[in-house]
Order: sequence, then structure tokens, then C-alpha cells
Amino acid sequence: MSSTEQGTSSAAPAEPTTAPESAAAPEVPESFYYVHGKDKVVHKVSAGALQHSALIHGMISNLGYTEEQAKANPFPFENIDGDILQMVVDWCNQHKGKPTPPEDTNLPKQKEKLFDLVLAVNYLEIKELLTYCCKQVAMMVKGKSPEEIREIWMIPTDAEDEAAEKEAKKRAGKEAAGETAAAAGDAK
Amino acid sequence: MSLSIFPYVVQKEILDNMTTSNLFLLSFISKNTKKLIKSSQAKRFKSINHIVYADSFSDLKDSRKVYIPCMPKSDYIMELFERRKETENNYFQLNVGGKTMNFRLSAQNLPGTYLHPCDKESAIESVHKYFLDFFGDTVEHQWYQWISYDRDFIPHLPKLSLCLTFFPQSYRTIDVESLEKFFDLSPVLKRMNLLLYSSDLFRPESKFYQAESVYVKLYSENVPTFLRHFQGRQAFLRCSNFTILKLKEFMNRWRSGEVCQKLEYLQVRFDLDGTLQNQFLNASGVKRIDATKKLPTHTLPREFQQPHCMNPDPITSSTYIVRETDYRVASISVQGDKIRFGVWKETEEEFLRMVE
Repeated sequence: MSSTEQGTSSAAPAEPTTAPESAAAPEVPESFYYVHGKDKVVHKVSAGALQHSALIHGMISNLGYTEEQAKANPFPFENIDGDILQMVVDWCNQHKGKPTPPEDTNLPKQKEKLFDLVLAVNYLEIKELLTYCCKQVAMMVKGKSPEEIREIWMIPTDAEDEAAEKEAKKRAGKEAAGETAAAAGDAK
Repeated sequence: MSLSIFPYVVQKEILDNMTTSNLFLLSFISKNTKKLIKSSQAKRFKSINHIVYADSFSDLKDSRKVYIPCMPKSDYIMELFERRKETENNYFQLNVGGKTMNFRLSAQNLPGTYLHPCDKESAIESVHKYFLDFFGDTVEHQWYQWISYDRDFIPHLPKLSLCLTFFPQSYRTIDVESLEKFFDLSPVLKRMNLLLYSSDLFRPESKFYQAESVYVKLYSENVPTFLRHFQGRQAFLRCSNFTILKLKEFMNRWRSGEVCQKLEYLQVRFDLDGTLQNQFLNASGVKRIDATKKLPTHTLPREFQQPHCMNPDPITSSTYIVRETDYRVASISVQGDKIRFGVWKETEEEFLRMVE
């Protein structure tokens, strides 16, 4: 039900629909919203699918946009890569109005992509997908030695942590000194 | 891309989804990682009641598994090997509490370390100390051991209690006196499982009676003596015959607060005697609840999960006695070849309020 569009329009009521369709109830036309990522590619997504994202759901629930307004004001997620946003949109569409299964095997296996997806999903507050992603991240280190885990997750050693801490302290000290000097200059 | 790019809530969720053995391995990566695990998993670790170091009867004591007992499946943390597999060279080294130890991962991805005979006790001590720091020192640690000889290796470590099961065939050759010496040298006794084919019993001050839970098969004439001295919480006795006189003696002593003050559960199994049930029902001092009422059930948590361990059965009985010193109630059931005696936390008044 999703489509990736640039500049197309479709008629939709302002209120997003959430109730599942039933034979007896009168059919309520579904409303759509538009989102784009870093690549500016606009994705048309139904309000039902967007319900998975607590962030977007909160944004749209009181907007009262008409279709034209929704289309003219796509939600920009400049911090999310286009392909990652596409994955998120696809997942939301696939799981629209359905109970989420205990496992999701369609998540990216590649670490960089998975980590980007985790960041995006956490930002968009998609709880179930975040849980799947975190499980997948946890699975990456199953059966690995501590050194292998360190490499996979790029965890600094104690020495690296100490050096970074020293550096941070030094920087903070310099900044504080700079501020004091600036304040003294102002006073003069 | 590093794990540190994730906010704390995400890192926590990732760690929440890791097995305890993986968290254990992860904790060796850096001090900060260990700190993160301990803070994010504080609630999970706090829920750990106890950690078991269990020897394996089936593979001739070659390995000992360390796990958190839980239902339906225990959560395994690591293995301790008593014999090195020379064919395997895929070891990695970890600094466990200041001691460098060789580890390898099993087919089930469980970390395991080899205990050199000369260095066994200090290696176990290091692992134990590490666990106390990692999981918190409120977690109880239990060392399960099948005892074949009184010279079997038992680590003496703080906060490590013993759960001993004596091999019947070897125990027959061990006299009560040498067993007493063995107990005296042992750390805290948590649970014991033994066959006592001896007309002698332990001295009243023996550590044997201080074990929290005991399963013992003993001569019938020794049962009253055992019950006079036992100071633990649970006892499962097996004997050939148990008479109404012995039961009355025990009930009277318990009622007056003279014996078994910490007792929560007693079970005596004997060779079937159909007359005991009727004799018990007519015994004086036994109180009864109207049989038409709905009776409360006395239950205790299943503390031990190994197949050879006994756990208390629930007791639903209309008969009970009351301890004079604190008015606490004990439900008593005499059925078939078993007497079950379960002590409630409630006083008689509170207990009767539970009867519907």
C-alpha cells in the first residue's frame, strides 16, 4: 500500500484512520502522509502504517491536514538515509494493523545498515522494530570471544577509554579557561 | 560504527536480549563495558536467587556447569573442565579477577575454562569472586557435588554453600565419625542427600543437622533422634516403618517449641502401613477443619531443580496442630506411605481466616 512518489497527489480526509475495516462498518477512506529522508525521496505512507511510529503518530494525530496539505508538507527526516527510511516505511506497511510476530528475519545482516536502522527506529520510536533490531544486534556476537566482540562492536579498550577521558577533560579545561578569559575581557 | 553511537536505552535493550553467558564474556572487554552491563542489567541480576556450580554425574565429573536455575530452562553461564581436550587449541585468555585463564567456547557457545589440578581451588576462587562482583554479593552460590569419597574436593569460599549427594555404594564404607569430620571441615551446608545405613547417628551438635534441606534414608529407630536435633528448614526422610508413637512424640515436641523451630516442611516416607492414618486421626491434640470447607493449600517454592533433588509437595489437609510458643500452624497429612508436615507463617487465627 505504500508508494514512493515525488510531486503526485491523492485525495484523502484530514483525519487518519486507525480502526480495522469490518464488513458491517461503513468504509472510512484511509488518510496518507508523506515523509522523506536525507535523499529527499518522498514516501507516501498511510496513517495506519505510521501508527507504529510513536513520534510520527504524535505529530499527525492533531494536525488535521487535508490531502493537499499533507502532500505539500512532507515530514523531513534529514538524519535518516533514504534507503533506511525506505526499510522503515516498508516494515510499517507490512505490519500495518497486524500483530507483530515474535521474530523478524528480514532485517539487514550488514552491521552498518543494521546500526543505521537501529538509530532511525529509535528516533522514530518504533518500539517493536527496535526490539527486533536490538535482538539482531545482540545475535551478532553470539558464539564470539571477547576480542571478536570488541572488533564487531568497536568497543574501546580500557587504555583507549582512559585516553579519551583525559582528552575530554583537557578540552573541558581549555573551554572553561576560554570562557573565563572572555568573561574577563567583557568586564574590561 | 561502534556500539557507543547508541543512546543508553538502546544499549540497554541490546544487553537485555543477550544471554547471561554472553554478558559474562562481554564484561571482559573493558571496565566501562562491565560498568554498563552492571548498571543496565541491575534489575535482571537482582532477580537472580542463586547460582549453581553443578558437577555432572553423567560424564564422570569431567565438567561442571555454572548456571542460574530457572524454569523451564536453566540459564547457563559457563563451564569448568577438569580435563583438557588436547585436540582443541582455540583458546582465548581472560583475566578473571586478576588471574589469567584459558577459555574456549563449546558447541553450544558456552564459555568454558580448564581447571589445572594444581591450581583448581584458586581458579574456582577467582571465578567465584568475579561472579560476586558481577552479579552482586547478595546472590547465593551453591556448589553441587556428588560425593564418592570423603576426600573429594570441596572449595571453601565465602558465600558458597554446599549441596551434597552421597553415592550410596561408596557411602556404605564411610562411617559416621569420618563423615562428621568431613562436615566439620565443610563450608555452609545447604542441602544434603544421603543414605545412612548405620545404627549410629551424628552428634547433636553436628553440622549435619544445620543443613537447610536434607534428604536422608535412615534406620527407623533413628528418625526420632534426627527430628530432635534437626535445625534446618526442610527434611525428607525415608525409613522402613514409622509408628503413631513416633509421630505423636514429634508433634508434641514441635507443639511445645522444643524441636525444629525453623522447620517449614517435613516428609516421612515409610513402608506402607494402612493403620497409621486412622491412628493419626484419633490422636489427641490434632485439630480439624470442617471437611465441607474449602481448605487452604500449604505450598513452598521449588528450590532445587536437579532430578535427584526433592522439593516439597503441596499439602491440603483438614488436620493441623498449633505451636504454643508463637501460635503458628502446621498442616499435617497422613496418606498412603507418606506423612507430610507443612508449617505456615500464619498463626491459627490467620490460618482459619483463609478457610472458606
